[in-house]
Amino acid sequence: MDWFNRPDDIAAADRAPLRVSELSAIIERLLDSPLLRDILVRGEVTNYTHHARGHRYFSLSEKGGGNTAAVIKCVLWRSDAERLSFNLSEGLEVIVTGTVRLYAPHGSYQLQVKEMRKAGMGDKFLLVDQWKKELAAEGCFAAERKRPLPAFPIKVGVVTSETGAVIHDIRTVIGRRYPVEIVISPTVVQGEEAHREISCAIARLAGLVDVVIVARGGGSFEDLFPFNHPDVVRAITACPVPVISAIGHEVDVTLSDLAADVRAATPSAAAELVVPDRGVLLVQLKELKTQMSTALRGQVAWARDEIADMRDRLRPQRFCRKLEERKQNIADLSDRLERAFSNRVDRERLLLAEIKTALDGRNPLAVLARGYCVAEKNGVVVRSAKNINQGDRMKVRFYDGSSQVTVERVDYGRNV
Amino acid sequence: MEETYETKIEQLKRIIEKIEDGTTGLDESIKLYEQGAVLVKQCEMLLTEAELKITALSRDA
Repeated sequence: MDWFNRPDDIAAADRAPLRVSELSAIIERLLDSPLLRDILVRGEVTNYTHHARGHRYFSLSEKGGGNTAAVIKCVLWRSDAERLSFNLSEGLEVIVTGTVRLYAPHGSYQLQVKEMRKAGMGDKFLLVDQWKKELAAEGCFAAERKRPLPAFPIKVGVVTSETGAVIHDIRTVIGRRYPVEIVISPTVVQGEEAHREISCAIARLAGLVDVVIVARGGGSFEDLFPFNHPDVVRAITACPVPVISAIGHEVDVTLSDLAADVRAATPSAAAELVVPDRGVLLVQLKELKTQMSTALRGQVAWARDEIADMRDRLRPQRFCRKLEERKQNIADLSDRLERAFSNRVDRERLLLAEIKTALDGRNPLAVLARGYCVAEKNGVVVRSAKNINQGDRMKVRFYDGSSQVTVERVDYGRNV
Repeated sequence: MEETYETKIEQLKRIIEKIEDGTTGLDESIKLYEQGAVLVKQCEMLLTEAELKITALSRDA
């Protein structure tokens, strides 16, 4: 037998060797399994280091005899570490959520942790998860049922402890921004029975206020636990007016926060959201006032322009010109009339003079003055001797008088 | 704050729109302006005279 040329070895020699990175890639693919993704792991924190960049490195260990001893390296990135509501420390029993990944530069696999909580709370966390699913199924967290906050609430309901910093902060902020009526619906905010009181306190405000703030100061997961209770969540969704939640610190998200119409980071932030800032409102009001004045001034200016335009159009230049023309006409006519009249008078005067001359020539008295007489018989001028007879009575007219005569004899002759 | 701050502001905005609208007569605009000025004064009063009032409900209600 040839120990040095076994068929297997020949085959192995034929295969090209893998590069380390290729091997890493194969392992990485193998690790990319649903069994290792978003898994919950329980263990004790060991080898804890808080990196200068904020990332946390540690191992999760299970102590025990024999086969049960095991350890896995873990990393918690800074962004996730900032959401931790407790301080990580050596020896702490925790439950983490994460995904197993290969870290090729170190040739090791590690658990990339997204969320983390203390193991002692395990049951309650599981309960919250369960409630969350149920309430989500009821539609309590649905985005479409979120209501907008009223712009100018008249009464603000506050569900919180009547003593302590929370109500003080809310009062201070509302008083500074825009004083309104605050209706406090007092309640205990922690303890076994707190969820009952809180939900009653929310329900009590129905019909009394325009908006409700449900607030509580910071505290442990245990302290905030009542705000995860379905009674409180349902009271929030049943509230007829919008609800702002401000429970614990920003990193603590309770189911009440998810159900509220608006979530505020702190009670003061809630108070800022609930009322407008009257300083800003006064500025806006002033702007509206200016805008209104400007609008009216614009209208007046426009109207003035319009009047000016109309006055221009109304100005009686054409009318005056017409009037002048008429006046001129009348003057011309009157001239013509006068001229025509005086011409006529002159002519008539000439005619009259002629007539007068003619008349004068024919004046019988003038003939009489020259020594002639006119005989009249029975009022008729006697022109012929044939018209008279002996014994006729006649009137003989002289230039300065007349006489009554009787005809003695009639002689007929050619010339008298 | 009276219940009407919001409606007053809405009215005021409508008045301004009307005055800005060229079809509104001058007489009407002046009347609207007078109304608007009253609204502005009322709003200012509402803002400056607002007072913090605190009431607490009884727990056993």
